[in-house]
Amino acid sequence: MNEVADSTLVPSALSRPYRYVRLEWNAEFAMLTVRMGVRPIQCYSLAAMAELQQLFNDISANPGLIRHFVMASDVQGVFNFGGDLSLFVLLVRARDLESLRLYARRCIDLVWWWETAATLGVHTTALVQGDALGGGLESALLHHTVIFERGAQAGYPEVLFNLFPGMGGWNLTIRKCGHAVANDMILTGQVYTADQLLRRGLVDHVVEDGTGAAAVQDIVRHMEPRFRGVIAALQARRMAAPISHENLLAIVDHWAVTAMSLTTRDMRLMERLARAQVRKVGGAGEGAVEEIKRMELDTAWGFERTGLSEWSTLT
Amino acid sequence: MSAFFMELVSRTDEARREFETNSRVLDIVANGLNLERYRKLLLELYHVVWHFNPTCAAAACRITDQHRDVRYFLYDHMNEEKGHEEWVLNDLQVVGVSGEQARAYEPTLVMLGLNGYNYWSADRRHPCSVLGMLYALEVVASVYGGQMTAAITESLLLEGDRGISFISSHATLDAEHLADLRVVLNKIEDEPAQAAVIESTVFNFHQFGRVLESV
Repeated sequence: MNEVADSTLVPSALSRPYRYVRLEWNAEFAMLTVRMGVRPIQCYSLAAMAELQQLFNDISANPGLIRHFVMASDVQGVFNFGGDLSLFVLLVRARDLESLRLYARRCIDLVWWWETAATLGVHTTALVQGDALGGGLESALLHHTVIFERGAQAGYPEVLFNLFPGMGGWNLTIRKCGHAVANDMILTGQVYTADQLLRRGLVDHVVEDGTGAAAVQDIVRHMEPRFRGVIAALQARRMAAPISHENLLAIVDHWAVTAMSLTTRDMRLMERLARAQVRKVGGAGEGAVEEIKRMELDTAWGFERTGLSEWSTLT
Repeated sequence: MSAFFMELVSRTDEARREFETNSRVLDIVANGLNLERYRKLLLELYHVVWHFNPTCAAAACRITDQHRDVRYFLYDHMNEEKGHEEWVLNDLQVVGVSGEQARAYEPTLVMLGLNGYNYWSADRRHPCSVLGMLYALEVVASVYGGQMTAAITESLLLEGDRGISFISSHATLDAEHLADLRVVLNKIEDEPAQAAVIESTVFNFHQFGRVLESV
């Protein structure tokens, strides 16, 4: 009996016993879909980052094996919440600048792989089917094509606790939609709907909830006949609007130094976000995104009207 | 070679995250505790605090001059922690448990296991292992203690620090201790001592998660 090759079997060169990433393979398009699943709170934990780095190393070591890389989430309702807030709090409280800098530089190693993927002949797509905050949004914007399902929301809440997105947020947002939008997003900490992000040019496609995977297939299918041209054009795009590794490292070092100056109040706000997300995992209807909106309202209205803020009770 | 503190953070990160994502821990952070469970948590914590200094002392008397910095660190730390069991007793009093009842309480088997391991490790494994206990407990207190304090205060309608002074104050105090602990951990350069600290940290995160499950 003839054996039929399984077109969904992940190539052995990429197959490893990962714990936090699940790989899907589509042989027709040489498309690798990476579904990240750090539970219960989806974030870039040290272990998940180590697995991603291993996967990136394997892809780089096997040029031509994949043409399309798709990043998605295995966690319902969340694309990624970015950095591991508890780890940040731990390192800031331990006043360990060097370790925080090391964590940040590991992030930049990942950022740089995504940023240079076209030079490996790989087209990258972010499929955002849930909320993306901070580093989660930065990692989505690193992809050549960014697809949001309509129910997904995203933003950079870092300024709410006196920090800023340090892993390419400024570079990527400015490159994609200019200084005005980047200023607005990063300096207000506001959370945006998928349609608002589309209007600002940050997102390439918004599709209905549940149709994201099919949309990726459509985009890839249409791109296939002109794939080599697309890759060459994406390489040229980097030349036209370069982001340098040196610049990313300089910003992330500044980020780490800034994080060291966070106060107890700032960290309590971070904890408040983390706690909101934990409540959502536990079945509550509202999570971190709703908590950020409450913080925005608190700033915009509560303080102005009363001179008091819920935050002022945090010491 | 990176400093040992970073290596400790990296190599025990999975254990920390397993503690953080333990369903019972998540539930406490999200919803707090009812009165009965909070009483039981404090009764269990009393045994952590009561055995903390004797464990440190057991380690300190076995530490050789090679690690004299660790020994001096433990002296200072013991002095700071002395009497903190009274804070637990005061909180218990507020929630209706007398000192006599607290002292008569028999800890759970998982608590006996936690204290038993820490004594054994200081005695038979490596006295520097006690720093793993300190690291795990200080991370639990300073990283998660604030969230737990807020949730328990809300769930029990407590006012200010009344009834929650032990957890609340350690959330702040241990943040300062963590910075001091990093300095002393970075002075540990020999492999056996480092391995013992890592093992102890992993065990303490694991077992403290079980303790919270038991309440």
